[in-house]
Amino acid sequence: MEAMIAVDQLVKQYGKAKEPSVKGVSFTVNEGEFFAFLGPNGAGKTTTISILTTTLSKTSGSVTIAGCDVEKQARLVREKVGIIFQQPSLDPNLTAEENIRFHACLYGMFGYRPSFALMPASYKTRVTDLAEIVGIEDALFRPIKKLSGGMQRKLEIIRSLIHTPAVLFLDEPTQGLDAVSRRSLWEYINETRQRYGTTVFLTTHYIDEAEQVDKVCVINQGRIVLSGAPDEIKSSLRKRELVLDAADRGRLIDELSDMGLFHRVDEHVVVPYQDLSEQEVIARLQTTLTTLKIQEPTLEDAYVEYLLKTGGKAA
Amino acid sequence: MNELIFPGNRSKLFRELNAILTITARDITLALKSPGVLITSFAMPLVMMGMLGGSLAQNMAEGLSFDYGQFMMVGMMVNMLFMATTMGLGSLVEDRMTDFTQEMMVSPASRYSIVIGKIFGSSFTAVASMCGTIIVGLMMGITLSLGQLVLILALAPLMCLSAGALGMMVIGVVKNTRTANTALMLITMPQMFLSGAIIPIGNSSGILLVLSRLMPMTYCLDLVRAIVYAGTEDYASVVLFDPGVNFVAIAVLTAACLIAGTYLFARTEKNR
Repeated sequence: MEAMIAVDQLVKQYGKAKEPSVKGVSFTVNEGEFFAFLGPNGAGKTTTISILTTTLSKTSGSVTIAGCDVEKQARLVREKVGIIFQQPSLDPNLTAEENIRFHACLYGMFGYRPSFALMPASYKTRVTDLAEIVGIEDALFRPIKKLSGGMQRKLEIIRSLIHTPAVLFLDEPTQGLDAVSRRSLWEYINETRQRYGTTVFLTTHYIDEAEQVDKVCVINQGRIVLSGAPDEIKSSLRKRELVLDAADRGRLIDELSDMGLFHRVDEHVVVPYQDLSEQEVIARLQTTLTTLKIQEPTLEDAYVEYLLKTGGKAA
Repeated sequence: MNELIFPGNRSKLFRELNAILTITARDITLALKSPGVLITSFAMPLVMMGMLGGSLAQNMAEGLSFDYGQFMMVGMMVNMLFMATTMGLGSLVEDRMTDFTQEMMVSPASRYSIVIGKIFGSSFTAVASMCGTIIVGLMMGITLSLGQLVLILALAPLMCLSAGALGMMVIGVVKNTRTANTALMLITMPQMFLSGAIIPIGNSSGILLVLSRLMPMTYCLDLVRAIVYAGTEDYASVVLFDPGVNFVAIAVLTAACLIAGTYLFARTEKNR
């Protein structure tokens, strides 16, 4: 599969900084992949995404998007990417539709016309379709400052997708959104991925949002410290656990010790396991259980545990 | 993918012109949504020409060999274009503060198109100010022929571009609105006094002469005066240079400021 994003030994040192913010980062994202770039505050995520989107210059290393160098072929790169910034970048004095029209014309999709009514039918159809999908059709002609944070974020999604980019960069896209808005936003992004095969590059502090991605890279203090599929990362960092309890807890603990299984006692008896299946553990127990629960590690568990272990700050 | 983008069936030039038009249109839309800005731009000449110019005409124009009213009227028209365009560029700093510049900078439009679009957008209020100047002039009994007005209007885009390019040298490096406003005042006010808008500079010498020759507005003013005074007795007393020299000087200074200003702006945006 072709690499849509290829980053090799990327270094960025800001003018007055004593050491680089990004220290030789390398990774690839394949075409159509959903990629999450995670890390605590100040780890180098936004610096990296800014270089990838041509808004910041690198110190050294190479970065290509769809085979185009981000510095030598910046214009081609800009044609291929859509971005949702960490901070909203809408014009608050324009209406939602005016913001979209500005974007579409700036990207050369349509010749500029001074009103929605004068725009070509293909533009009108596309805007109304997208607005319907994300549920802001009623707000299309309202000034941005009168829209809620969630609606503004949805509008930014429409705007970033209107030129059907090959790569969509999402820099903490759900920051400040309520649960309902977050869910509908992800539904729409997933639908877009399926429909257009868009490669998605995500940074987020909500680690649960990265559970569904194809590949995760964790950056800490400017270096990639973990990478792989979410399941690989979870299983490499945390074992699955059985949560057990019995009226005769002493006997249960003796049995687990006899089986050579490590366990700890919190509220219940917690048994991490990896080589055995849960079925095998339970089948060998004679004690009558009052509690039985299988605890799957989440990506967030693995992420937080890793950062705490390595002295990194949790997000 | 990319089914709506038309790199193949639209030329690069068309796309850049479209980007300039889009950015200009946004500023015009914003100006139309803020009637206060338009009213102020329209009313500004009342203060600048009616009060300042009027007072100078009454108290200092006695010994001049030409009609000061018309001299000042032309000066104020160009000055208002320069001042309003330059000051209007402050909106670029506001865009930077609301992160809207990011939206423009990640687009495939050339950085020059972005800057030129912003300059022409800022010129909209400048043209309102110029119209205000003409009305105040009429009220003061100073008139220009229709032909002269048409020629001045035809030169207005070049003058606005020249003013905006100079403004970009400042805006390119400034990061907050307050500093931008002060810095823009610092480049607009000296031009008003040193480039001959309201005070004749035929006898300037020393550092003031050097400064006046470095200012693009000096040549814009002189070019417009060459049009207004063409074929009149006052031409030799009022016009400093040959129109061709003015035109070349404007082109060179504008290109130099535009290149430097755009470079500084893009660099500042890349190193936020």
